[in-house]
Amino acid sequence: MSAFAVQVRKYRQQFSGMTAHVVQRATGLLLLIYLFLHVHTIRQLRDGPAAFNAALATFHSPSFKLLEIALLGTVILHALNGVRIMLLDLGIGHERQRRMFWGYTVGFGALIFLAGAVPMFLNSVWKQ
Amino acid sequence: MTVLDALFLVQREQDPSLSFRCACRVGMCGTCAMSIDGVPRLACKTRVRTLGTAVVQVAPLPNLPVVKDLVVSLEPFFDQWKRTLPKFRPRDPESKTLAVIPHTTAYARQTPSKRDCITCGACYAACGVKSTSGEYLGPAAVNRAFLRLADPRDIAVAERLAPLNDERGGIWRCHTQFNCTAVCPKGIALTDSIARLKRAMLFPGRFEEL
Repeated sequence: MSAFAVQVRKYRQQFSGMTAHVVQRATGLLLLIYLFLHVHTIRQLRDGPAAFNAALATFHSPSFKLLEIALLGTVILHALNGVRIMLLDLGIGHERQRRMFWGYTVGFGALIFLAGAVPMFLNSVWKQ
Repeated sequence: MTVLDALFLVQREQDPSLSFRCACRVGMCGTCAMSIDGVPRLACKTRVRTLGTAVVQVAPLPNLPVVKDLVVSLEPFFDQWKRTLPKFRPRDPESKTLAVIPHTTAYARQTPSKRDCITCGACYAACGVKSTSGEYLGPAAVNRAFLRLADPRDIAVAERLAPLNDERGGIWRCHTQFNCTAVCPKGIALTDSIARLKRAMLFPGRFEEL
């Protein structure tokens, strides 16, 4: 087995803490990509209101609305797990860290996500 | 049958050149730690049946240099271990009186669950930070330093805090992945020790509480 294969093996460990860590990194990367797109769109204002409106128009398509719903989920996971990490760094809730991830980050996060995603879906994708 | 028994069987019947380390066979020496199905465990404490797989994959511990087959060199592990001054430094080495440690102190509360480290290197091998940073102390060394710092009889505080507070190798590198806590064969809450030290450094006025 190559040294790389041995190194990569540890990421196969399916422990909740490691899963939370990977989720935090993955959502962070996705948000970084979104941030660039966001700044790029805002930047269109420099070319006048017409150009900005034209740029915004592309985001009104149903497929972009679905991406927007995915963005909501990404933000919720990243934010809630971020609070979990801050608490853990202060030494709070170490014996409950699994429950904090699955119950609070994923479970509670899913509730907020549904509360936001369902109206978003019905109002934008479903109606069109 | 444990994984260690299986390895002996393979060595006896199939490949006499197979190398692995073991000593006590009862999970108290920490010699037979290896990666079993991708998770660092003690071979003598892991039963093949409980793994639930038809083929058991064994590999040397990650994050440590391989000597041969399943044998790794624990030298980097103990190099980091030594950096945090693992030895007891008493206030008065000549003292003949027994120290009294009240049950209410942090040391008395924390020690029973955290002093059982057998230096097997499982936490060091499971740590995702350790795999990218050669300078990181690793969970076991930090836990050892934590116990020494919590000990009211010990005086080497500043010397231990220096490597712990180090920007490149200190406790701030910990990303609370909990892999060390999950794999520790002795069930030590290593991430908890690291977080307690972080908190103690952030709020020095409450250092005694650890």
